[in-house]
Amino acid sequence: MLLIRCPYCEAERPELEFTYAGEAHIARPAEPSKLTDEQWRDYLFIRSNPRGIHFERWRHQHGCARFFNAVRDTVTDKFVMTYKAGLPRPSLSELENARS
Amino acid sequence: MTSYRISGRGRIDRSKPVSFTFNGASYSGFQGDTLASALLANGVHLVGRSFKYHRPRGILSAGSEEPNALVGTHRGAGRFEPNTRATVLEIFDGLAASSQNHWPSLKWDIGAVNDALYMLFSAGFYYKTFMWPKSFWNKVYEPFIRSAAGLGVSPSAPDPDTYASRFAHFDVLVVGAGPAGLAAALEAGRSGAKVILCDEQAELGGSLLSETDASIDGRPGWEWLEAATNELAALGNVTVLLRTTAIGYYHQNLLGLCQRLTDHLANPPEGAPRERMWKVRARQVVLAQGAIEKPLVFAGNDRPGVMLAGAARSYLNRYGVKVGHRPVVVTSHDSAWLAAFDLAQAGAKVGAIVDTRPEIGRHLKERAAALGIEVLAGWTVTGTSGRLRVSSVRTNPVSRSGVVGRARVIACDALLMSGGWTPSLHLFSHTKGKLDWNEERQMFLPGEQTEACRCAGAGNGNFGLAAALEEGAKAGAAAAADAGFKTEARSYAVEGEIALAGVSHRELPTDRNTSRAKAFVDFQNDVTAKDIRLAVREGFKSIEHIKRYTTTGMATDQGKTSNINGLAIASDAVGKAAPSVGLTTFRPPYTPTSFGAFTGYNRGALFDVTRKTPIDAWAEENGAVFEPVSLWRRAWYFPRNGEDMRAAVARECNAVRESLGMFDASTLGKIEIVGPDAAEFLNRMYTNPWSKLAPGRCRYGVLLGEDGFIRDDGVIGRLTSDRFHVTTTTGGAARVLAMMEDYLQTEWPDLKVWLTSTTEQWAVIALNGPNARKLLEPLIEGIDLSEEAFPHMSVAEGRICGVPTRLFRMSFTGERGYEVNVPARYGRAVWEKIYEAGQQYGITPYGTETMHVLRAEKGYIIVGQDTDGTLTPDDAGLGWAIGKNKPDFVGKRSLSRPDMLKGNRKQLVGLLTADPNTVLEEGAQIVLDPNQSVPMRMVGHVTSSYWSATLGRSIALAVIEGGRARQGETVHIPMPGRMHAANIVGTVFYDPENKCLSALG
Amino acid sequence: MLHQHHPLVGREIAVNTAVPLVIRPAADTARFSLRIDPAELAKASEVFGLQLPAKIGGLSRSAEKRAVCLGPDEWYLTAPLTEQAAVEGAFAELYAEVIHSLVDVGHREVGIEIEGSDSVLALQSAVPFDVGAMPVGSGCRTIFDRAQIILLRETQHRFHIEVWRSFADHVWGILQAAGREIELGI
Repeated sequence: MLLIRCPYCEAERPELEFTYAGEAHIARPAEPSKLTDEQWRDYLFIRSNPRGIHFERWRHQHGCARFFNAVRDTVTDKFVMTYKAGLPRPSLSELENARS
Repeated sequence: MTSYRISGRGRIDRSKPVSFTFNGASYSGFQGDTLASALLANGVHLVGRSFKYHRPRGILSAGSEEPNALVGTHRGAGRFEPNTRATVLEIFDGLAASSQNHWPSLKWDIGAVNDALYMLFSAGFYYKTFMWPKSFWNKVYEPFIRSAAGLGVSPSAPDPDTYASRFAHFDVLVVGAGPAGLAAALEAGRSGAKVILCDEQAELGGSLLSETDASIDGRPGWEWLEAATNELAALGNVTVLLRTTAIGYYHQNLLGLCQRLTDHLANPPEGAPRERMWKVRARQVVLAQGAIEKPLVFAGNDRPGVMLAGAARSYLNRYGVKVGHRPVVVTSHDSAWLAAFDLAQAGAKVGAIVDTRPEIGRHLKERAAALGIEVLAGWTVTGTSGRLRVSSVRTNPVSRSGVVGRARVIACDALLMSGGWTPSLHLFSHTKGKLDWNEERQMFLPGEQTEACRCAGAGNGNFGLAAALEEGAKAGAAAAADAGFKTEARSYAVEGEIALAGVSHRELPTDRNTSRAKAFVDFQNDVTAKDIRLAVREGFKSIEHIKRYTTTGMATDQGKTSNINGLAIASDAVGKAAPSVGLTTFRPPYTPTSFGAFTGYNRGALFDVTRKTPIDAWAEENGAVFEPVSLWRRAWYFPRNGEDMRAAVARECNAVRESLGMFDASTLGKIEIVGPDAAEFLNRMYTNPWSKLAPGRCRYGVLLGEDGFIRDDGVIGRLTSDRFHVTTTTGGAARVLAMMEDYLQTEWPDLKVWLTSTTEQWAVIALNGPNARKLLEPLIEGIDLSEEAFPHMSVAEGRICGVPTRLFRMSFTGERGYEVNVPARYGRAVWEKIYEAGQQYGITPYGTETMHVLRAEKGYIIVGQDTDGTLTPDDAGLGWAIGKNKPDFVGKRSLSRPDMLKGNRKQLVGLLTADPNTVLEEGAQIVLDPNQSVPMRMVGHVTSSYWSATLGRSIALAVIEGGRARQGETVHIPMPGRMHAANIVGTVFYDPENKCLSALG
Repeated sequence: MLHQHHPLVGREIAVNTAVPLVIRPAADTARFSLRIDPAELAKASEVFGLQLPAKIGGLSRSAEKRAVCLGPDEWYLTAPLTEQAAVEGAFAELYAEVIHSLVDVGHREVGIEIEGSDSVLALQSAVPFDVGAMPVGSGCRTIFDRAQIILLRETQHRFHIEVWRSFADHVWGILQAAGREIELGI
């Protein structure tokens, strides 16, 4: 069971309070009707599934109830950092800082 | 006292005799004995039969690594446990233990014929043997495998014990209370850190409990141990858990510790849990797991009486038990010499010390000479004899060039072996910490780590008391420092310790035909050196494959005594260094752990949350039969006077259609949506339009996933312009709220709207039937129930029976319907008032089954039953619920994807069976041509199927490819026994004009 | 008024240890879920008559009222039952000026009090986070075995659980088992 830092509660809490919510930074298109079938397919189904750094969403379901974003290494399972929903993807240097 | 129990030795309490039985025979031991030590004290070595060959087996070790001595234990009714290791089982008065894997008796076992047929049972025998003919699978092979498989016998009665669990948080967790662990815990404890120390044994000390020669800081070892134990007990910040096994090491220093609370007690206190699983999160972890002695691999190394030398020393020094009167020692490591010395001093006649090494340290040879023990240096062991107990050992000199000389047979009643020691890396390995191979020492050692942990003592390859204390103290101090506490590791002065060295071997050299030798590597799974070499010859090169093919290391002991020997032989056979052949991964649990310990409190009534509505107790008192619906238990039907389900449901259905029924709908999910953008939010979430819904009105809403498939549905009422009362399905409540929160928080954070779950705020009483309004009118205040003021699909706030209510007019039955929402604590009282008031109309409480039948008669779907995550609104006949003019809603874009527009999508239809008395099975498949060959082409399946009392026949809903265009056609439904024909019809079986929705009784 | 059925009414877990541990259902209160822009906290505090805590985990108490901050824009309020209508009325008035959501959840929840020096131990039988490290005067939503709860630490040795009514029996059952262990000292 992981410990996850909730960026809203500013505290590390046990994984049991959280739920996973899929890949992060996939915004719902503003006007879906203008998308081609292929574009919509990509939005719906195509995910990066990387080995290594993964940007993903979690929800502090049994806590502050907020959705937030996280960077996790899919090889070690470990979180690199977490940040509030709506914030941009962290830069490489920010990730490096978080790792050290 | 038996002749094997030595006076003046051991830590057992001789003032407390304990009697127990083994295979029905009575024995006695002392408090502090394990079953193994007590049996050995009674001269019993034979304790079981092996798994595959049914060979007689004895006690190999003195610890939790034991592969052989597995017994069944009986502690009274329902309390039978198989595969308990006799070496860790503390005896208590009344213990009944029995041996396993034999028939008819331990000493005469039919299954031992396998031993003579060993050619059949070589590596991969399952794969090779049970291949043909195909027809043998069901009748011959599978029953044989099933009856032969499994260690011991599973308990058949429910476990009457209870189990506990506890989360705990510490600065420092120390695993293992041997010298290294004790030193670590002392340092960390003295620093003020919050420390937890656990050990699987019944007392602290680890290897120190078997060590009688050395002194620490000028005191005998056991005196030091007592002082250390007392100091730890006195430190308020240190928690000591005995009989507690660290079973698994998980992410971020979370460890599972299984504490055995009552197994050692003859009379456990009433209500005491048997075991507790601690889930400990520690800032820092010190692993002081010690080391496990390796057996030597030679023919006949599994005979009862052949045991690890260190174990023999433990039995002598810790339990006061001499394992034999005439032991012989065979070893490649100095440590076994100490067993010979101690036994000789205790009066045993040590036949010889056979050491594979030609050169032996002078200090050992001198001491052996002084004790009159013959030393055979540079010799090997090539066999043993004795049917149920070793009676002699065959030993041969090995020349410098490796030539095995003439055999000499030495009589013995115990053969004590040592192939050196393997650091216990199990927990470290759970963390995916890197293991480094040390070629010179032929062992893996902890390498790069992934968690905040330190390994100390023998578990880190630093053998010996002095090294363990020193490294333990340093690790404990460093762990405390890293957890934010100040400390300095103290040093210990150890005297009387002999420096120990040794070498490692594969199979010992032999002069006999190796293809016939049974030199065991894995005792529990009966894997021999020959099996491993055969696997390599047959092409397996990685230990992961060799392991699976031969099953070496795959038994319940996870190869604690066998992995390194197996790897050494495999790497020799492959011709590559050990690391490139690989070590198999250790996985939790470290030792076998009961299901109860994992389950904790979650059994019986606490197995899972059982949610009950405020009206549930009334239903129970009134004879309801219940069914689980998600976490809820719901009244299923209310049988009267011995009615069966069908009769009860028919009566309940008729009551609703003819007069009045009442139904507990409290489990429906409810979400209160508040804010100026509430309608806009609903517009975006649901397929239907909401902006124009007037306050006081409600509407059926359909919720899709972004993929266009139906996720949920429910009636949504508008209370004011800014406040909606949304209902969801019972099972969908949490999911729908989470989905809404997701969109609101992450896609549309600009919307001014908030969501609150009110599922449990309200008790909901659904009243259905032509007399519903007549019943309600006198009970309701503040709401005009007339048709004009409160038509179908209305909502209003008022009072009922004097308490606040949100009253809905809606119907899930096709009859005039109301849903009375009252604050939950009033639910039962209002229910009772309504029930009382409804007697004049024959008001009938009904359950979920009647609700299902009534709604099916009207063709109302149940999401999750008639839909399965692949149905669009159009597929389900709900195309009308889509707001055609809305630019967007969740899932809208997907509805125009090419697959969604195909003509032969599965569509919801009604089915009427040719035989009106046949009720189809829900889930039954549907075919067009009943005469086609198997496998038939399936075009859909039955989703709902009931006996309809209203129609006097069966009805069903089904999804069928292109179903709506096939209305009038006959389809066929294969079911067990026969094929049924049914006619495709519309989904509405009852009152298609909806006249009943506003009919009055 | 009609009789109210309380899931745990009349029940108590009394653990006879040196310092007794007592677990009992709490007296009922009015309860509200308040959602409001944190920038408007001062106005909400004024309306409620108690300073609402600004930080998640914060707990404010007066003799009669409680407010715990559960999320960035979420507060859980309790007040005497007699003030139910007054609180609702005051917030309804505020709505014209400051939009927010106040939802009555008084019947959704059941309160359980746990008092005694072993209360942390009892809670840790099913609460995964470090309850011992929870500051006095704080509160949070968390998980108790499989039930979501709100946990308040009111004093060093007194905790208060708010749990949805249909989950209360489950929480109670585990507390009962944990209490038995504490009583036996094992």
